[in-house]
Amino acid sequence: MSPMAGKVRVAIDAMGGDFAPDEVIKGAVMVARKGDVDIILVGREDVIQKHLEKQGAPPDLVRVVHAAEVIREGEPPAHAIRQKRQSSIVVGVKLVRSGDADAFVSAGSSGAVASAAATYLGMVQGIERPTIGGGFSSFAPNVVVMDLGANVDCKPHQLVSFAIAGTVYARTIYGIDNPTVGLLSTGSEEGKGNELAKEAFPLLKNSGLNFVGNVEGNDILMGKANVIVCDGFVGNVLLKFYESIGDRARVWLMGKYPSIKGLVSFLFDRLVPIKKLSYEGEEEGSGILWGVDGVVRIAHGACRAEHIVHGVVAAQKAVQVDIVGNLKKEIAYLTEQGRLDKGG
Amino acid sequence: MSVEEQVRDIVSRIAHVDKSIITREATFKEMKADSLDIVQALVAVEETFDIEIPDEEAQKFRNFGDFVDFVEKEAAKKG
Repeated sequence: MSPMAGKVRVAIDAMGGDFAPDEVIKGAVMVARKGDVDIILVGREDVIQKHLEKQGAPPDLVRVVHAAEVIREGEPPAHAIRQKRQSSIVVGVKLVRSGDADAFVSAGSSGAVASAAATYLGMVQGIERPTIGGGFSSFAPNVVVMDLGANVDCKPHQLVSFAIAGTVYARTIYGIDNPTVGLLSTGSEEGKGNELAKEAFPLLKNSGLNFVGNVEGNDILMGKANVIVCDGFVGNVLLKFYESIGDRARVWLMGKYPSIKGLVSFLFDRLVPIKKLSYEGEEEGSGILWGVDGVVRIAHGACRAEHIVHGVVAAQKAVQVDIVGNLKKEIAYLTEQGRLDKGG
Repeated sequence: MSVEEQVRDIVSRIAHVDKSIITREATFKEMKADSLDIVQALVAVEETFDIEIPDEEAQKFRNFGDFVDFVEKEAAKKG
């Protein structure tokens, strides 16, 4: 944190996202105006300055760090971060590494952010690959799912590292002392599921974590476990299905009961906005990239200004509760207990 | 420690592969290193030896031995 003001310094990728730079800079200005976090905008300086003027931002409201290049969606991530070393993603991650920022938030290419973070910040010892986790806050306020899409093909021991990260998440962000861990599968008994689930089960059972066994899809929103572990392929499908529930419920109700259209519209559009049915507050629009040696938050490509605000506030909290330090402590403890193998 | 040993250490740590598998003839595929492992290893080697490994050169590496030869040559230039 900034030694002078004691504020958390969050670098934001001004060029990343479907609606960048407009929405990103708008969000950055909104959160900077609150005054409790120092904002660093990373990207093409001329473009950023133009948008700051458009937002009516006073000259000293945010700091700008120039990055001449932009990594686009669709570029092979690992290749792009070496080809474009002056990109907003690489420069932003390096600000965290150099200690000039405490956290980095980007709505740019998720793969490039994860690759840049793993490469330039390094991985926490015991974790092989970065993982994106997040909560399903409205319907299941104390549940976190890992992985939500960073690793579509996983090895069994990687699921253990997701479980560790999820445990630290539930403890530090939700304040749950001894979070329960469930392995997402197609049946509750041991031995159910695909090869990955079958092989991961005994590893989780012997991990020293509070493992409660397999959980099924219908157990997630019931809160049967605080940490739901799955590979990123399943997690990402689950996430997008969950995100669509609110809107689909609105459309379905309007078609099924046309006579109460007005009531449905009032309920879903004004009283309980659709997004609130799936996400609330800080959980909305972005997730922490776990396992890298620094605080990085990846936002949805289609995020808007308010999601950038949520992402920055959540990144600030992650720095304040020292999620990276807590993750290291958890791994050190489990390693000391002889619970973890070399793969994590 | 020789350049070859240092590079082997880096690759072993990043790709989570036993050093005994990383012979001069071993390919990245044989080491089960994916694209992120390779990029992480390239950047770590660049930073360790303060050299640059252009992508067009990296693409020519047929095995670990080619990688080490290039690093030795570049590191020697640095003195």
